[in-house]
Amino acid sequence: MKYLLNVAFLILGILSAGQSATGDESRGSLVRVRTSIQPYDQFRPWQKKSPFGLSGTGVVLPGGKVLVTASLVANRTEVGLEKPGSAEKSAAEVEAIDYEANLALLKPTDAEFLKGFAGVILGSNLKAGDTAEVWQLERNGEMLRNQAEVLSAGVGRYPSDEAGFLVYGVRVSLPKRDDSYTLPLMRNGQLSGMMMAYDRDSQEGTAIPVPMIEHFLRDSADGKYEGFPTLGVSWAPLRDPNLREEVKAPSAGGILLTRVNPIGTGGRAGLKEGDVLLAVDGFKLDEDGNYRDSLYGPTSIGNLVRTRPYVGTTSKFRISRDGKEMELTGSYDRRARDEVSIPTLQFDVPPRYLILGGLVFQELTGTYLQEWGDKWSERASQRLVQLFSFQQEMKLDPHKKIVFLSQVLPSAMTAGYQHLSGMVLMKCNGNPVGSLEDLAVVADSTTTGDLVFEFMDDPGKLVLDAGEVKLSSEKLAKAYGITALRKL
Amino acid sequence: MRIWIKVLSCACLGLGMVGCSKDAQLSEAKKNVVMVEVTSQTWDYRLPWNPGTVSSARGAGFVIEGKRILTNAHVISGARYITVQREADPRKYPAKVRFVAHDCDLAMVEVEDLEFFTGTTALLLGDIPELESVVSVYGFPIGGDRLSVTRGVVSRIDYNAYTHSGRESHLAIQIDAAINPGNSGGPVMQADKVVGVAFQGFRGDVAQNVGYMIPTPVIRRFLKDVEDGKYDHYVDIAIRWMTLENTAMRKYLGRPDDGLGVLVTDIFSEGSSDGILMKGDVLLSIDGHPIESDGSVRLQGQPVQLEEIVERKFAGDPVELDVWRSGKLEKVTLKLKPAEMFSMYEVLYEPSPRYVLYGGLVFQPLTANLMAVLAGGADLRLRQTYSLFGQDQIYRETPEPVILSAVLPDPLNVYLRGLAGQVVREINGKRIRTLADVEPALREGGERTVIRFEGDQRPAVLKKGDVDKAMPRIMAQYGISEPSRTDVADRRLAKGSYSRGDAK
Repeated sequence: MKYLLNVAFLILGILSAGQSATGDESRGSLVRVRTSIQPYDQFRPWQKKSPFGLSGTGVVLPGGKVLVTASLVANRTEVGLEKPGSAEKSAAEVEAIDYEANLALLKPTDAEFLKGFAGVILGSNLKAGDTAEVWQLERNGEMLRNQAEVLSAGVGRYPSDEAGFLVYGVRVSLPKRDDSYTLPLMRNGQLSGMMMAYDRDSQEGTAIPVPMIEHFLRDSADGKYEGFPTLGVSWAPLRDPNLREEVKAPSAGGILLTRVNPIGTGGRAGLKEGDVLLAVDGFKLDEDGNYRDSLYGPTSIGNLVRTRPYVGTTSKFRISRDGKEMELTGSYDRRARDEVSIPTLQFDVPPRYLILGGLVFQELTGTYLQEWGDKWSERASQRLVQLFSFQQEMKLDPHKKIVFLSQVLPSAMTAGYQHLSGMVLMKCNGNPVGSLEDLAVVADSTTTGDLVFEFMDDPGKLVLDAGEVKLSSEKLAKAYGITALRKL
Repeated sequence: MRIWIKVLSCACLGLGMVGCSKDAQLSEAKKNVVMVEVTSQTWDYRLPWNPGTVSSARGAGFVIEGKRILTNAHVISGARYITVQREADPRKYPAKVRFVAHDCDLAMVEVEDLEFFTGTTALLLGDIPELESVVSVYGFPIGGDRLSVTRGVVSRIDYNAYTHSGRESHLAIQIDAAINPGNSGGPVMQADKVVGVAFQGFRGDVAQNVGYMIPTPVIRRFLKDVEDGKYDHYVDIAIRWMTLENTAMRKYLGRPDDGLGVLVTDIFSEGSSDGILMKGDVLLSIDGHPIESDGSVRLQGQPVQLEEIVERKFAGDPVELDVWRSGKLEKVTLKLKPAEMFSMYEVLYEPSPRYVLYGGLVFQPLTANLMAVLAGGADLRLRQTYSLFGQDQIYRETPEPVILSAVLPDPLNVYLRGLAGQVVREINGKRIRTLADVEPALREGGERTVIRFEGDQRPAVLKKGDVDKAMPRIMAQYGISEPSRTDVADRRLAKGSYSRGDAK
């Protein structure tokens, strides 16, 4: 058996080598993508950070659209396409983008720009052990075809650091040609994946696999992008026989649901904390949360519930509850991820803020917390970290935002308040605050008297003179060089 | 042998100071400064059943009236055997700790053999020395074995962290005399009086010529505290307050712009002010001293933080406050007590680590010591439980969070090892609020023990029969002689304000 497999590899190797010798399908399939990136400054929400440029290799699809990773175009100010081997350029716009799946579809603004490009079609799935090529563009437009081997295909982390999706681990020796490793993984002249990360020391990287790309392209085809569905549950493996007995699990298979978001796909289908989830959409789950994939073998439930179905697809769950097996149905959606008080992914959107007399209020996002660096969970305000990390168990209302005092701009108005930061605002003049708009409404309608801010934490209350806020705000903005006192 | 890195100074007083010659000071020091040699054991909170590692160290101390020896708490922490020795007498006398105050890093040591005191005269305590006045530090620092003297000036008098306890700050005096390992516990002298006890400094790669001594008000407080035969703890007013520098805030509170008063923003339940002060109170004076809007009061003409008034008092002492409440002036009196709810943040020295072992699962109360060994590995929930314990008054519901600190590998618990570091919520349906709840709860329930954790972790389930069988094996394997240590003799704990009924 082993021997046979080896033989198969050998043949594949010869085939692909033969291809690189004959064809030149690179022409008409790749473009260089140059982007100008300027992230927002979460700590000074009225300004952006310094801009920088990125470049990568985009794959031209039949129909004249270009596929790249989302990280290549995140927080862009400009996107440009460049034909290999010529200086011909066109601006491009982003037609669809998914930061979770790390994929983006670009459309040249010059409709004629990619005329004559045949484009690349999507190939078949790869599995561990398959060989492929990573195509690169030299500066002169020539093609570089680097032999690659798929080391693994399984559910892993994506750069958004939030979602677990199917990912290929790839071994390949890549010279540095661009400022990013957004490069196509090709096999037999067809697209088998998009490289999204690469480590030059270990010569290993990760690639977004075919099923992800396929899902992304099909979803975006109708012009209305919905994204990858999510189940909205936390679970634990059920290998432990004592635990199985305690939760009255059947003799084999299944995982224990330890938390179910009531508004998520699972929650609305009727899944409950403590249920043993035995099968999803007819696929049996083993005790570690894997189903048997026809191509990849044992694969995590993550692939089953996030990549295979689309938003709106019917979901079917087989569970054991208190020892009784039952079937529940519902439909897949993204509510557990989208309807949250504190969002994680914040690209391309400026941070919202409202400055009142030197008190800077912002809405809490994961992006803000990440601004504190790798050790954000130790360095940022512990209350903000807590609300973000445990928002579901703290039962935060998904329709209310967390408004917090991020910093105080010292002025005569804010004397005695300068050292305060990271405090969650609950009320302003007695009115509950569930968004910056709520706060703006109170502030705008109060022209005289006090503005009393009530916070969740010590010191509890701050007071500003509303009249003075109105009078001195412009002066304050000028002193600190802030162009706008609010961005809602 | 380690040599304690703190400072000891005994010196003559500055050149122009009254009343004492350099020779007189030196001769007093020679009679009364003692070398303290300590063999101690340090608990390992990773292996709480072990007696700990043995190490030896040297520090200094000095004789005060009543045949007592003063030194630093950190010199004698965890001591198993102590000897003291004087310059004039080659014999080493066994000594015992009489009182220890970890919160202000002071300790009193006594020697049974009164022969030791022959020829000692007892050093007297002086006052707070002037800035820039000269002091001398006496001790037995690294570099030799006999009495050493270094000299410097008083550089700064201010509040500073006392690093030994991990959370306390008291008045400390910074001096620029060389203070090196082995100086700890030694006297700092001016004229023929002790003006401080050398106790901490910076490592040479951080700062030079920065050493600290414990000033005499702190020493006197310690001596007075132990007069009744035991050391209580520093007391705390247990509130949070905010400066009142903001005009709009002052107006809102109905206070004139007179630069006086601070705003009470939080009151810790079970603390001295619980039920007496209220959020929103403006404190205008403390024991008759007007409080400035930055929180300072004048003591002997010097501005000090208002806490300094409380610092010098003892458990049970009253504090009188003028309070502006709901637009009216009121006088309130509160009775001071230690802030037990913050004791979790104190590094523990003497008490043996407490734990419960169950089928290889090690339960420990959350302590500063445990956090130190878990260090960076602690997960977010555990770190938050620790950092928000005081702020969120978690102690009201859970005076002593219990952590599954380790899972000692055994066939019994192969599926439970990933749970180490979790905060225990309940065992067999019983809410766990202190370590003392663990053992009774483990005996509850049916044939399985179910341990639930905070958050969305899976529960740990063990069969009681299996655990009973495995315990002798696990204890032998890991060299554990006692399945638990739960006595609370030395432990200070918040009481908690949950209803005892619901603990079932």
